[in-house]
Amino acid sequence: MPITETDLPGVGKKFEIDLEDGKTLVIVTHNTGRRDVFLKADDDADSERLFELSDQLARTVGTILEGAYFQPIKTEDKATTLGDGTNIEWFDVPADSPLEGRSLAEVLADGRIHVAIVAVQRGEDVIPASEPEKRLDEGDTIIAVGTNEDLEQFKTLLSGDDGSGLD
Amino acid sequence: MAGETALLDVGVLFAAVALAGLLANRINQSVIPFYIVIGMVLGEYVLGRIDFPALLGTDLVPHGAELALLETDFIYVGAELGIVLLLFFLGLEFNLDRLIAAKEQIGKAGTVDLVINFGAGLVLGYVLFGSFLPAFLTAGVVYISSSAIITKSLIDLGWIANDESNPMLGTLVYEDLFIAVYLAIASALVLGGGDVGEALGQIGIAVGFIIVLLLLVYLGTAWFQRSLETDSNEFTVLRALGITVLISGAALSLGVSEAVAAFFVGMAFSSTAHVHDLENLLEPLRDTFAAVFFFWIGLITDPTLFLDVLWLIAAAVLLTTPTKLVSGYLGGRIYDLDERRSLRVGLGMTTRGEFSLIIASIALAGAGIGLAEGVADDIYAFAVGYVLFMSILGTTLMQYSDRIEAAVVPLLEGDSEPSAHPSDD
Repeated sequence: MPITETDLPGVGKKFEIDLEDGKTLVIVTHNTGRRDVFLKADDDADSERLFELSDQLARTVGTILEGAYFQPIKTEDKATTLGDGTNIEWFDVPADSPLEGRSLAEVLADGRIHVAIVAVQRGEDVIPASEPEKRLDEGDTIIAVGTNEDLEQFKTLLSGDDGSGLD
Repeated sequence: MAGETALLDVGVLFAAVALAGLLANRINQSVIPFYIVIGMVLGEYVLGRIDFPALLGTDLVPHGAELALLETDFIYVGAELGIVLLLFFLGLEFNLDRLIAAKEQIGKAGTVDLVINFGAGLVLGYVLFGSFLPAFLTAGVVYISSSAIITKSLIDLGWIANDESNPMLGTLVYEDLFIAVYLAIASALVLGGGDVGEALGQIGIAVGFIIVLLLLVYLGTAWFQRSLETDSNEFTVLRALGITVLISGAALSLGVSEAVAAFFVGMAFSSTAHVHDLENLLEPLRDTFAAVFFFWIGLITDPTLFLDVLWLIAAAVLLTTPTKLVSGYLGGRIYDLDERRSLRVGLGMTTRGEFSLIIASIALAGAGIGLAEGVADDIYAFAVGYVLFMSILGTTLMQYSDRIEAAVVPLLEGDSEPSAHPSDD
């Protein structure tokens, strides 16, 4: 894969990367850090500007393309493996949850719960587990760490589906 | 009087160039002619001649002469700083390695450009003014294309990613190097007076100063590197300005072009690791003072003088638009580009701008010294009018290049001998 590098005096540098189908990807890196990305359909064609990126954004996009970028993001099943069978998972506190209105201290002391509650997200705020007097509300998001079974059990408990509820 | 309104004057200046820049941007034109025109409009020669009380029939409105901006020390020194920073950047971005790596192509394309355009300028200037020095200055004005406008248009139009950017930027590098030497000689000739001995003495001082600067560039890299070793942006900017403006000012006080000194100081910094920091930090400063420079150019231009030199401007436009088209086209061919892209090189290179104006300011500074006052004024007015026209023409030619290509390329391709004059209509 040949990459041609050209100095652009007063502008920056130009990199041309031959793609497989005869197209050329042209990246102009400005001295200011801005990147312009162009596509040339064939050797004779004019370059068509695809997009431009700030320095910061270009680096982020670059690491994604490289496959080196990874960051846990709240997804649909909201679980991320930490390794060794331990997961971190996000749970929304549903309406009518048995845990609603309970303080963190009560929840942490509950013998049936085997997951570690790391923090609770409430809108923009994060309530750390070190503030045990705070009470859970409907719509809060609990961030918990534990094994798959323990997390499953916690989920059931949270939704009140096991029929028992908390005393 | 001046003391009370000095700040207001500067406020008017910056507000005016800001608005002019906005307008230029709206209609996709280069900002340079707009900065010049707004300076001209607000100066003593336009605003200063409007008799508002008589026009409006009331004494409540002061006479234009009381409102017009004068060439204050601030504006003059600000313009000077603009020249210094423009040339400092030229040196900073001057890439000797690139020149050496592509020396064959840049050398050929640049020499074609030099011989055709500088040659045409010399002949034109000699025919019009009848002596060497005015011809030499005219040649410089019509030879040097505008790096600032061309580079910006290349980026805006996306040509920067195409092959035609190589001969254009390559030729500009050649022109930049030539103009550094040219400015040194021109200012020595102009300020040295008509006397050959004195002019030679000035050239001697200029050459000596340049040699000292070159030694500084060559031997002083480590020192220049150390001089900016700091984590603070503030200190980087202050030290860079301290070195650049001090050396440029010293040069000027010795009668050597401050622009040339700034170019070599920029070159000295170009081989340090601070290049990118300096570019990022000083670019807004350069653009600020460059705007003051263009404004100043307009401010001291009497547009009624354009009438006297109208035929000079017309002759130069008619002669040097085709010469740049041809030299640019040939430059493109030297880089093995096809007809269409070679034509584009020609269209882009027709743009003249900031450096022609710096030469104009040298001519004006030499009024009554190396040049008769009438001649100096004529060259100045000619250069300003010429740049106003060529900067707009060049930008426009680049914008409408697709239509021009559609009309001209078939003619070029039908012609096996590429010596035809590509016309721009």
